[in-house]
Amino acid sequence: MRRYFLFFGSVLLLLSLLIAAWQESRRPRPVALIPTLTGQVEYCLTCHSDLAQISSSHSVKTFGCVVCHGGEPLALDANLAHSTMRGGANPSDDSVVQASCGGDNCHGGSPETYSDHIQRATTSIQATYAGAIASMLYTFGAQPDLTARFAVSVVQDPQSSSGITGLSAFGQVQASNPAIKLFGQNCLNCHISAQPLPGTEYARFTGCAACHTPLTPVGLLPGEGQGVTPQVHKLTTAIPFTQCDTCHNRGNYDLRSMTFQSRQDLPTDRLHAYYQPIAQFTTCEYKLECNDCHTRTEAMGGGSLYGSKKDIQYIRCKTCHGTPTELPLTKTLTDPNDIAFRLAQLNPVIDLKIGDTILMTDKGDPLWNIRPLSDGSYELFDKASGQRYTFKPVKGSGCTQDPSRQDSASCHQCHSVQR
Amino acid sequence: MRPNFFHHLHPPTIPAQQARFHYTLAAGGLALFLMLILLATGILEMFYYVPTPDQAGSSIQALTFLVPYGGLVRNLHFWSAQFLVLFCLVHLLRVILTGAYAPPRRFNYLLGMGLLVLAVLLDFTGYVLRWDEGIRWALVTGTNLVKSIPVLGNDLYLVLIGSPQPGPATLLRFYDWHIFGLSLVVLILGGWHLFRVRRDGGIAVPPPAMRQDQTRITRFELVRREALAMLLASTGLLLLSVFAPAPLAPPITAQSALSETARAPWFFLWVQQLLKLGSPFLWGVVVPLALLLLMTLIPYIFPRPSSSELGRWFPRSGRPSQLLALAIILTILALTIVALLPTS
Repeated sequence: MRRYFLFFGSVLLLLSLLIAAWQESRRPRPVALIPTLTGQVEYCLTCHSDLAQISSSHSVKTFGCVVCHGGEPLALDANLAHSTMRGGANPSDDSVVQASCGGDNCHGGSPETYSDHIQRATTSIQATYAGAIASMLYTFGAQPDLTARFAVSVVQDPQSSSGITGLSAFGQVQASNPAIKLFGQNCLNCHISAQPLPGTEYARFTGCAACHTPLTPVGLLPGEGQGVTPQVHKLTTAIPFTQCDTCHNRGNYDLRSMTFQSRQDLPTDRLHAYYQPIAQFTTCEYKLECNDCHTRTEAMGGGSLYGSKKDIQYIRCKTCHGTPTELPLTKTLTDPNDIAFRLAQLNPVIDLKIGDTILMTDKGDPLWNIRPLSDGSYELFDKASGQRYTFKPVKGSGCTQDPSRQDSASCHQCHSVQR
Repeated sequence: MRPNFFHHLHPPTIPAQQARFHYTLAAGGLALFLMLILLATGILEMFYYVPTPDQAGSSIQALTFLVPYGGLVRNLHFWSAQFLVLFCLVHLLRVILTGAYAPPRRFNYLLGMGLLVLAVLLDFTGYVLRWDEGIRWALVTGTNLVKSIPVLGNDLYLVLIGSPQPGPATLLRFYDWHIFGLSLVVLILGGWHLFRVRRDGGIAVPPPAMRQDQTRITRFELVRREALAMLLASTGLLLLSVFAPAPLAPPITAQSALSETARAPWFFLWVQQLLKLGSPFLWGVVVPLALLLLMTLIPYIFPRPSSSELGRWFPRSGRPSQLLALAIILTILALTIVALLPTS
């Protein structure tokens, strides 16, 4: 054998060793994180160090990434690391929310510790769509009354205080009416576990993130958000009206064709982006965020199954404004563990202290962003923008409305804006 | 030149015609070299690997991604193992297709078959040590084959798997078989195999015309040739390991289940395909073992290849054994290809 064969063989091996060393040097330097909650090292930050912290109450140092997202904490290969993530990029999807967000100390706890969020969200009207389904089945003669019997998917709640302990899946509906079939095909995307319709105006995640991860930047009107990179790694209780709008204000279902008729007008300002389902409305209904008035119980449910929106939605004009004879209900904060403090801490648009008085609904829900002022008026802090508004009570004004007729249609007789 | 330790492992001189590459294909020697790489990289891996179900997967991930050059070591171990099985098969085919199993080499043929079986078992046990989603087939179907054996099956399953279903005991058993039980036997049989090569008259008998050739090559030349083969093999292995990482899937968890697409490791794909034909015991145990037995008995059941024909490919006197071996290998190859085809 010729001796230089060995020389060339050695050169080849040396070259391949150099290639191996070069490849090794290109590997990312692992960035370790040991979250205090889990104590288990994870290396997600090796690639994701630029990702914004999702919220101040879910700090990276405490939670890390894996406890919520799942995934392979040690893998530095993107495919492997992401292969076991819960719910893809969205661990709050209904299918995985118990594993991601649940647990007694997180969002799967009891009403007493205000940590029963998953129970509330999954039984709420927003998840079951029970009222709309019952109404449609009744309209087309498939059931004798408006009692809710079906939900988008099967849901049980033996401890329900509302009288409804379970709803069957819509797929179980025995009806030959083509309209009902069309409804099943076209109309079940109005609930938080469904994928939204295509288009930026419908853009939202599923599960908790459907509401708590606003995709449209605060203050932008539909359409204006296009081209803006949404801040998606975010969980917040400062939910702008635009997020509610992605489901609630985009158009209507036509009961004749059982198709979704999207809203055709292109709002140019907030007034014209008004909440379409109510024809008449007044200033606060188009200037404030939806959740400035509508409480967490209304939006997320009260922990039981409900038969329709009417069973859980109860805020009226008088909740904040009172009646000609009564001021709105208030509550003075004496307990440092009061839920109002937690809500104000999560969304610090207001500085609440022990001894402060806030407004309260007739069901006891705190309107923690609204408090009375010394001059008899009230101040309200917008939950998304933090902007301060003041308003006056009905009592003491010239209003002569019958105190027993406090539905919004009655109030709108006098109080409505022209558009 | 003064011979060093490595030179002394070889005979002082051998007939030049014994070490022709186009006759030996260097498959046996390369198998030995791969075995040494496997030993070295395997020892390195043992510093990190934890043989428990809840830590096996993450310890491999740590080795692969976090330990400097850990991924390279793992890839080298993986590719060496796959090529070991391949080179053992090539070596076996070479021996059968050249009639090199003829007496006095019949016993060494048996040792070689034993080494092939051990190489496959080592590859299989090593594959199971990943304990990730990729080994589901082996863990479920593979182990259940043992149960299908009449009378002995259930006891054998308990001995091999260690519990009524795969669990921590299973992983510990596979680990011990891999790093100790099987490897030790390979070292013993391998040493014996090499000893018998020299005892039985060297690497190979040259063809009659060349047997008169008195030219001999020294151990220095032999070591140089081996060094060249090792250099080239190392280069190939390194490049493969750098650019084609060994497979790694998410660790097995209680929630995950056997999916429709679960595949056997490549060297058992043909068995997986056979299993589709019916009885697991017949197609998964009896048929593969019968084929193995047939291959093993080739030197004993077929007429000896004539001495005048030794030293070249396809001796006429060895036709029956050549046809049988080729038929078996091609059948296995065809079954493997069918198993790889996407199912419609």
